[in-house]
This record gives sequence, structure tokens and C-alpha cells, in this order.
Amino acid sequence: MNKELEHSFVELLEEHQNIVHKVCRLYTNNQDAHNDLFQEITIQLWKAYPKFRGDSKFSTWMYRVGLNTAITLYRKSKRIINTYDIESFQFKIKAEEYDDTEEQQLKLLYQAVHQLNDIEKALVFLYLEDKDYREISETLGISEVNARVKMNRVKTKLKTILNP
Amino acid sequence: MDELELLKKDWKKDDTLKYPKLSYNEIYTMILRKSSSIVKWIFIISILEFVFWTFIAFAFKGSKSLKEFEKFDSDFVIIPLTIAGYIVLAYFFYLFYRNYRNISVTDNAKVLMENILKTRRTVRQYVAFNLVYLVIATFAGIYIQFDQNPAVINRAEMASANGEAFMFYAKLFLMTSAVLLIIIGILLLFYWLIYGILLKRLNRNYKELRKLEV
Repeated sequence: MNKELEHSFVELLEEHQNIVHKVCRLYTNNQDAHNDLFQEITIQLWKAYPKFRGDSKFSTWMYRVGLNTAITLYRKSKRIINTYDIESFQFKIKAEEYDDTEEQQLKLLYQAVHQLNDIEKALVFLYLEDKDYREISETLGISEVNARVKMNRVKTKLKTILNP
Repeated sequence: MDELELLKKDWKKDDTLKYPKLSYNEIYTMILRKSSSIVKWIFIISILEFVFWTFIAFAFKGSKSLKEFEKFDSDFVIIPLTIAGYIVLAYFFYLFYRNYRNISVTDNAKVLMENILKTRRTVRQYVAFNLVYLVIATFAGIYIQFDQNPAVINRAEMASANGEAFMFYAKLFLMTSAVLLIIIGILLLFYWLIYGILLKRLNRNYKELRKLEV
């Protein structure tokens, strides 16, 4: 029975692993931290899996567990030094020197999102994943109206970071 | 174009190129590893706190000074204090365990944070109880000494014969209070450090969510 459960879980996660990668992308700054958070989310998903009843989609359930782990449960591992990795920094310099296109704008946007706090990142994440305000409010435990208000504030904050 | 729309366009581009694709076996190895979440740490530290205070109580019971103490007629203080100690330990442990079981990663973010904080609050109240208990037990002990220990009674009488009764009691009170304050201070500093570090992020995020609801 346990083997079956393991098998079905690992198969499902293998299929939907991009959701976890995306959470990690927003909440971490380098590959080590990304892997570490991925590991913790996987464990939390696995621990919660026996109670997953399938009344929601596996992916929807993953959003909740993934964000909860990133926002609340995850403790940064000691070995991870939390800095921007050198490669992306070099890329930034190059990009600023050689092109001022959409690519460059995106790079700055991702950096701006990294400056948001954990809750704001969660809002951005759910927004990018096309979740409606009902689902955003249910995932975070705030009202729909407040989710909307906060989302607008996040947009303004991003504008301010990008155009100080 | 809205900044976030631009980001969304990129976000939705072919994911397979952006992220490493972990194999079945890689994911399987991951589920066999151990979690290092704050809930696990809170559980370990909380259990250690219960063990620590129970150990202190036992160490004190086996100590020489308590054996001395048993010579006096002190059952009327020691028995109720001991029983109260065990009842309160059982009560707090039950509360802690119930709260701990309530923590579920599939709750919404706010409820999850509240449940974790509730678990912590239970242990904190238990620690507060122990500190109050420590103060009460110390002063009860002193009272019994003055009531029944001939050596102490003698010294108190001598002090009062010399007209230094006030000084004698004041000194005793100040010294006892100072020792208690130092012990409590060290313990509180220790807690402040551990939980300050462990719960900093959780508290910050919880405040942020609460702020949204005002």
C-alpha cells in the first residue's frame, strides 16, 4: 500500500514539478537555495499526501502546500549563503551595456519581485499563475476585497522599485 | 504595458526550458529525506522545554537542601505545590499536543501561522507558569525556614535584639529577589534568542497578513 502511495505521488509530482520550481524561483536567489526549498516542499507535499482526497486538483493542492512551505515552514539551510549569484550579476552588467530590450526589462522585473516581502511574492505568484481573487484569498486566508487591494498596492510598489 | 503583464507573458513561456527536469528517481530520493521545517524545530524545542522543567523538578526533589527541608513540618506547602506542578504539566502538555496536531500545511496561510503560534503560546505559558512557580516555591521555602528552622529563627531574633530587624529582612528579600531575577533573566534571554531567530520570519509574515485585514 505504502509503495503504491509512493509511486502515485512521485509520478504526480514528476508531472507537476514545474509548480514547485516556480515557487522556488520567486523565493530563492540561487541554485543551492532553490534545490533546498524544492526538497522541503517535496517533503511537505509527501507528508500531506495521504490526506489528499482528490476533491481539488493535485496542482491546486500543490500551490497551497508549496506557498505555505515557502512562506511559513521553510528554514534556510545554514550552508546557503543568500546572495544573488555571480552569473546573473554579470548578465545584468552585460545587459545594461548591450541591450535595452524586453529581456533587460524582464531581468529588472524579476529583481524587483525579489525585493517584495513573502506575502507580496505569494500574491504575485498566484497572479502570474492566473488564479482569480477567490482562490488567492482562500490560499492566503484574507478576504477577496483585501486580496484585490493588496494586489494593486503590489503593482504600485513594483513600479516604484523599477522607477525610483 | 503593465509590468506584471510583461512578467506573466514570460512566466507562461515554455517552462520546460527554464527549469531542471527532475527524474522519478531524484524525486523519490527526496521523499526519503528528513524535513527541516520550523514546525519540526518547534516540536523538538518544546519537548526539550517540558523535559527541562520536569528534570529541574526531579533534581530539586532529590537535592540535599530538600532533604533537610523535609525535617520541618512542610507537607502543607510541598504536597500542594507538587500536585499543582504535575496537574499543570499534564494540562499544558495535552494542550501543546492538541495544538501541534492541528498544524496542517494544507490550511490557508493565515490559519497555518495562527496554529503554529498557538502551539508556541502554550509552551510559553507553561514556561511562565514555571517561573511564577519558582518564585512562589522560593518564598514558601523562606517562610518555612523562618517558621521552623531554629538556626534561622535564632539569627532573626538576634538581629531584632540588635535593632537591625529591618535591615536583616530587607537584605534577605533583596538578595533572594536578585538571585531570582538573574535566573529568570538568563532564561528569558535564552528564549528571546531561540524564538527570536526561529519565529522572526513567521511573525513578520503573520503581521503582514493581519495588517491586510484591518
